[in-house]
Amino acid sequence: MSKISVAGVRENVQQLLDYSLNEKKRNFLETVELQIGLKNYDPQRDKRFSGTIRLPTVPRPNMSICILGDQHDLDRAKHHGIDAMSADDLKKLNKNKKLIKKLARKYDAFLASDGLIKQIPRLLGPGLSKAGKFPTPVSHNEDMANKVNEVKSTIKFQLKKVLCLGVAVGNVGMTQEELVANIMLAINYLVSLLKKGWQNVGSLVIKATMSPPKRLY
Amino acid sequence: MVKRKLGALEKVEADLPNLQHKIRRDPKSYVEDFRAQHFQYESHREIFMAAPSSATDTGIISLRDLIDFIAHVAECYPEIVKEFPQQLIDMLTQHHLVLESELREKIVGSLMLLRKKDLLDSATLLQTLFPILISTPSKTLRALLFQKILSDLRSSNSKATNHKLNRTMQTVLFNLVTSDRTSSKGLWAVKLTRELWKRQIWTEAKAVEVMKEASLSENEKVIVGGVRFFLGGDQERQDAEDESSDEEAIDVARIRHVVGINKKTKKKSRAVEKALATVKRKERKKHNPAPLNFSALHLLHDPQGFADALFSKHLQSSKSKLNLEQKLLVLQLVSRLVGLHKLHIMSLYSYFQKYLTPRQPSVTSFLASLAQASHDLVPPDVLEPLVQKIANEFVSEASAAEVASAGLNAIREICVRQPLAMNETLLQDLVMYKKSKDKGVMMAAKGLLSLYRDVGAEMLKRRDRGKEASMGLRSGEQKAKRFGEQEAGEIEGLELLEKWKEEERRKRRLEKGLASDAEDDEEEDEEADWNAWNVEDDEDSDDSGGWIDVQSEGEIELSDSEDEGGKPPAKKAKQGDSDEKQQQGDEEEDAQAQEKKLSTLATTRILTPADLAKLAELRAEASVNALLPGSKTRRTAQSNSARHIDDPLTAAEIEGLASLSAGKATREERIAHAKEGKLDRSDHKSTTARRKLKKESEGKSTTNKEKARRKNFLMTLGKAKSKGKRSLVETRAVLKAHQERQKRGGKRGNKG
Repeated sequence: MSKISVAGVRENVQQLLDYSLNEKKRNFLETVELQIGLKNYDPQRDKRFSGTIRLPTVPRPNMSICILGDQHDLDRAKHHGIDAMSADDLKKLNKNKKLIKKLARKYDAFLASDGLIKQIPRLLGPGLSKAGKFPTPVSHNEDMANKVNEVKSTIKFQLKKVLCLGVAVGNVGMTQEELVANIMLAINYLVSLLKKGWQNVGSLVIKATMSPPKRLY
Repeated sequence: MVKRKLGALEKVEADLPNLQHKIRRDPKSYVEDFRAQHFQYESHREIFMAAPSSATDTGIISLRDLIDFIAHVAECYPEIVKEFPQQLIDMLTQHHLVLESELREKIVGSLMLLRKKDLLDSATLLQTLFPILISTPSKTLRALLFQKILSDLRSSNSKATNHKLNRTMQTVLFNLVTSDRTSSKGLWAVKLTRELWKRQIWTEAKAVEVMKEASLSENEKVIVGGVRFFLGGDQERQDAEDESSDEEAIDVARIRHVVGINKKTKKKSRAVEKALATVKRKERKKHNPAPLNFSALHLLHDPQGFADALFSKHLQSSKSKLNLEQKLLVLQLVSRLVGLHKLHIMSLYSYFQKYLTPRQPSVTSFLASLAQASHDLVPPDVLEPLVQKIANEFVSEASAAEVASAGLNAIREICVRQPLAMNETLLQDLVMYKKSKDKGVMMAAKGLLSLYRDVGAEMLKRRDRGKEASMGLRSGEQKAKRFGEQEAGEIEGLELLEKWKEEERRKRRLEKGLASDAEDDEEEDEEADWNAWNVEDDEDSDDSGGWIDVQSEGEIELSDSEDEGGKPPAKKAKQGDSDEKQQQGDEEEDAQAQEKKLSTLATTRILTPADLAKLAELRAEASVNALLPGSKTRRTAQSNSARHIDDPLTAAEIEGLASLSAGKATREERIAHAKEGKLDRSDHKSTTARRKLKKESEGKSTTNKEKARRKNFLMTLGKAKSKGKRSLVETRAVLKAHQERQKRGGKRGNKG
């Protein structure tokens, strides 16, 4: 396949949504994932790329977030109904690797108040950054709900030991327009990250959690 | 048939090479002869196996010859020689200690030969040879076996990767390293893996795992072998690849030129064709997909665990027997792992504390390692005392210039990676060294200053900030990064592309005589836009040429998506908004409107290769503009962006311009330096004559003028005489002929 068109993307998204919403509706909110295969990419010579971008619509609204904060932030978190932990709670983990791993697995992302974040490596050791979930800082004068939203809508492209990667770009509860916009932005950003642009892209596939894959490119 | 030849054979019998030759041509007729020889071999072998140490010379020689002979013709009689490989293996494994060296070599060679003829499989061969390699005391045998094992692994992986064999071999090596951590036998595993890694035969995580275990062993040599692999193995691999690729670079232009000058023959034109074909083949090879080379550091399974183990085992523990040099290597590896994978080893930083004094041997390596080990997730309060210590110990008016510049460079390298490690007073102190008389110190201080203009201008004194940074601060464009903050990415220069497109559209519309900001007939516009792109792209990037044609469809259809309305909400709202709050009403609205418009580009169209090319162009243009005086755009930080993330930081970089700070040369040094260029001053000669002599000694050719001048006078005499006696007509003819010849391009002539 050697072309990608907006109409094609639109059509594929349409089919995907049709399948997941009408044909085989599941009992949960399916996530739509963009899977990318790279080619002609020499990880040793070309700069390894990693990047984050904020999508227009939150791809995974059910993402669980935990706030590690001081008293002020704990109160604010309570107000918004978000899970929160204080520095003392973290100390109770006692640098126990298993407990920290459990904590890291329990949440999809972490926020930490400005004062506390510098102590995180000391308190928790390498556990969180190993899981790729090092907290994002939040200061007292930032709107917490807004920040949480920002974290939720930010996706990360990171190349690991293989030449393919996948990111969640949306869910089947979104409208077609929103989904198309998310997908296009993700694709454009990815291509702009690559050294040779489209020549490095081998394949692009979108797929909802339990749908057959749809090849875009 | 056999009987007829019998007479001749009688003679040949002793002559094994001859028989071998005959068997090759007609195996069927010589079965009996082969059987006889094989029988003889069996008897020799039995004698030998009964008493290997007391074998006679003649017996050994004939056994050797027979082994050689059988191995060479084995493929003709697979039935008869079924046992042969196993017998050789037994002989070698049981008696390799007492075997006579030539016989031993012959057995190894024969085994390789049998392997090549597929009478023996690789796995068995390697399982035989490898234990001998690590146990034999003979150096020559080790060298031979190492080379043979390597070549066998290479050849069995040459057509396609032999995963099964590789896996078994890697497991054997892994077990060798892990079973006995104190012995130096692991060195063979290191050597073998390193060699195969270099040749890109092993590129997977398992090989890296072997090396990881090697670096965690307890034998110094094995440790150093493993660590060196991680530090330099990939560079080595790349160099090996580069070497093989430009082994015989062919300069096509040169070949064409030579053909134009010299006499044209068939042979030469054939040579040219051949050269062109090679070049073409190479080009094609170059365009092939790149191999999947992840560097060893990236293939590690658990970098955090590995770095932890290395640090606690070799550096922190008092039992470690490594000397300083070896410790530095390990430290380099640990710090690279920390920097590359952003690991957290808190005790690493306090470990550095005691080594940061100017008197410490090879302190620049320590400084480089420290800088390498810092990254943006290291808590600043861990790094701050270290930076302070470097500043106190190295950078002062009293310290030597080299020391001060090394210290400043180290501080800069740390702060590039973690800008928060610096405090305000210290920074302002250090920046003052930009007035230093010494060039190295001055440059280092300026480097620090320009770094902080980009990453933390508010920590600098007002007069040090510079125009751009202070303007950036005032407009709120430039803000210090908070700890743990991840910059949200965006498509760099997208707004430039958008603006450019807008302008193009407006221009085109003006040409058509429409209102400049009318929003209708977008579709047609887009199409025209697309055509323009296509043309432009064909000029600059021909390798993506075929690609673009296909795209056109998508481009055109894009427009209807815009017509449909229902535009998605603006993307990066937050960051932009907070910036704009400081600006006043009108401006803000304008900017917001613009932002909204921009965001639609990335979400509604797909950037084509041509778009991306234009994007890069615009970005480059903008960055050039930013450097010009009077422009308001912010300069993008690019201090270290050119460096590959995998590249290590070396001690040489920390030393930096220390050579500049070395004091003035003494008189003797200056004299020595001046004398360097004038070695042969024995006789007095002009410069031209000297040059000419040099040219001659280098074997370079002379010019025609020179040849004419040197020609024997008597040879030129005849022509000179006759020239004077020419008639007018003759002169004319000669001149005309000369002119003609010039036109043709010399006596041999390029044309016609």
